[in-house]
Amino acid sequence: MEASELLQLVIAGLKNGSIYALLALGFTIVYAATNVINFAQGEFYMLGGMLAVFAFSGLNVPLVAAVALAVVTVAGIGALFERLAIRPRKDADPMALIIITVGGSLVFASVARHLFGSDALPLPEFTPGPSFVFAGAAIERQTIWIWVIVTATVIGLTLLYNRTRLGRAMRACMENREAARLMGIDTARVVMVSFALAAALGALAGVAVTPLTSTRFDIGAGIAVKGFAAAILGGLGSPLAAVAGGLLLGLIEQAVIPFSSVLKDVVALAVLLLVLFVRPQGLFRRTRKEKV
Amino acid sequence: MRKRLWVMSALALVLVLVSAPLGGCATTGDGEEAPDGGGEGAGKEPYVVGAVLSLTGAQSALGVPEKNAIDLEVARINAEGGINGHPLEVIIEDDASDVDQAIARTTKLIEQDNVLAIIGSTGTGQSMAMREVIAEAGIPQVSLAGSLIITQDFSPLVFQTPWSNALVVDVTLEYLADLGLTNVGLITEDTGFGKDGRTLVAETAANHGLTVVSDQVFKPADTDMTGQLTVIKGAGADVVLMWSSVAASSIVPKNMAQLGMDIPLVGSHGIARQEFVDSAGAAADGVVMFAGKVLAPDAYGVGTPSYEAATSFIDRYAETYGEPPSNTFAGHAYDGLYLVVEALKRLDEGFTPSDLRDEIERTSGFPGIGGVFTFSATDHNGMSADDLVGYRVTDGAWALLE
Repeated sequence: MEASELLQLVIAGLKNGSIYALLALGFTIVYAATNVINFAQGEFYMLGGMLAVFAFSGLNVPLVAAVALAVVTVAGIGALFERLAIRPRKDADPMALIIITVGGSLVFASVARHLFGSDALPLPEFTPGPSFVFAGAAIERQTIWIWVIVTATVIGLTLLYNRTRLGRAMRACMENREAARLMGIDTARVVMVSFALAAALGALAGVAVTPLTSTRFDIGAGIAVKGFAAAILGGLGSPLAAVAGGLLLGLIEQAVIPFSSVLKDVVALAVLLLVLFVRPQGLFRRTRKEKV
Repeated sequence: MRKRLWVMSALALVLVLVSAPLGGCATTGDGEEAPDGGGEGAGKEPYVVGAVLSLTGAQSALGVPEKNAIDLEVARINAEGGINGHPLEVIIEDDASDVDQAIARTTKLIEQDNVLAIIGSTGTGQSMAMREVIAEAGIPQVSLAGSLIITQDFSPLVFQTPWSNALVVDVTLEYLADLGLTNVGLITEDTGFGKDGRTLVAETAANHGLTVVSDQVFKPADTDMTGQLTVIKGAGADVVLMWSSVAASSIVPKNMAQLGMDIPLVGSHGIARQEFVDSAGAAADGVVMFAGKVLAPDAYGVGTPSYEAATSFIDRYAETYGEPPSNTFAGHAYDGLYLVVEALKRLDEGFTPSDLRDEIERTSGFPGIGGVFTFSATDHNGMSADDLVGYRVTDGAWALLE
């Protein structure tokens, strides 16, 4: 294989990996606040793309505004979902809450089909134009946008966690929710904000990818599996670990393609299982001794 | 308490929203609403036919126009007095593009509704999975899916309305050979339809003097095929041949444009729909595929029975649904329905399911929308290469290939 082909596969891996990373971040944020895996995360991705298409093509809003509108609306939907479906059962067993999120994802997909139909819907690229060519490998403009979004998200989240009162409250909840509550932190608010933030990141990923793939009411579940796998690889810990998990998953997938594209998903999931056997806490999370 | 009430009513609203579309398609077709339009039809028992279609899930873009076509034609048949005085009722069930659902819905149609025949399913996997239940009941099945395996893995009960992959692969490979595009980069979707095409191309490419230099697969849920296309490019392909019918197929031309690949892209009849062209945008320009003549009815020959059937159907469809069918799948359902209806017309009262099967097999020269159907004891696809024409995407729409 030539170097340019190898580079092209790496670019594809980093592109897909960045998408998985944004979803993994959503899983990680909600898990940190609630110990729940939110399987509706993929639907936030779908809704982001759908609402952007609707605002752009249906309401004729300029693209930038359509993107912003979609992300903000989905963040609101995430908060509302937490308020209506999660909070009433907040003391239930995490398994019950996980089932609620699975149900929620079915509801979101059905409502989207009802409102937007079952066809694939396209969205123009943020900055149309030919791909950049770098050492014989092509990088499409939209991929650069995806990378910019991931980088900005990681920086933003790091600042949020380390510099703001809200972020510190979120970290406190991550460490020990009960203790945080006793220290006077409004944990209910932290949980709602976490859902809104996760939904916004999912929507952002969906909006960034739709120009490349079009969107459809039923794409959420498929991408959620990838994002979940990336989150587990990263260890459901820091934002950086989630991003590393996503990029790694994307790269593993592309590494399999020259040998057999049929086995791409199988090998990626086998690696995930292997990680779970060897390092159940994920690749990028330090174990901490629990004090009794 | 008041708080809970508020939450419950919000949930109820969501439930209503969700169940409205499902309820609409999961129960019965519109045939029931127009039981006996003609005076003659009143009084006689209705003929009940079942249809299993993929109204939701990955193949919904195919299944929904199929349902539209059946609803439209059943209403028309009943308005004209039904079948020999019997009103026609078609009960439509949604298999959600899922094999297990297809089996469950088929069982329901057979056991609860006592249907005379089953139309469907939309997809190959479902159509194949349904046949066991259908064989037990001994009723005929008219599948709307396009894989060769449906009629090659021969069952006397199973008929098929789309051009089988064998026919289309043959015509397509001959086209590649004529243009001298001998090094084929193959990319297929990981579904029943894609696997069928993949196997056929692998087996028959050499007969046309072609070599498959790279054999790539993608999943319907994939968002990016640049990896697979990079490998195809590296293998020195002259052309990318794509066998796919799912929505993700539109990503392939986009990725090719992004990679700066200027070799042609040739597809299967699975992309014979406007949705593919709209999704792929400018990248779809120049994509070639072979399918039936319904996308350009003049190709039937103006005035031929197929031309009349197709144009009249397209007009009625557009009148009812606001726009003409944007793909070939509505036509496959039209053909499936009329193959059963025409056979029922020819039968006397008191026929058995096996009489109906025999009568469908006797179909000869039926001018359908997919082509002219002539079944025999060994051919349950019934069409020939004459029923296919080439199309190329030109200015954002499928146009006849010169």
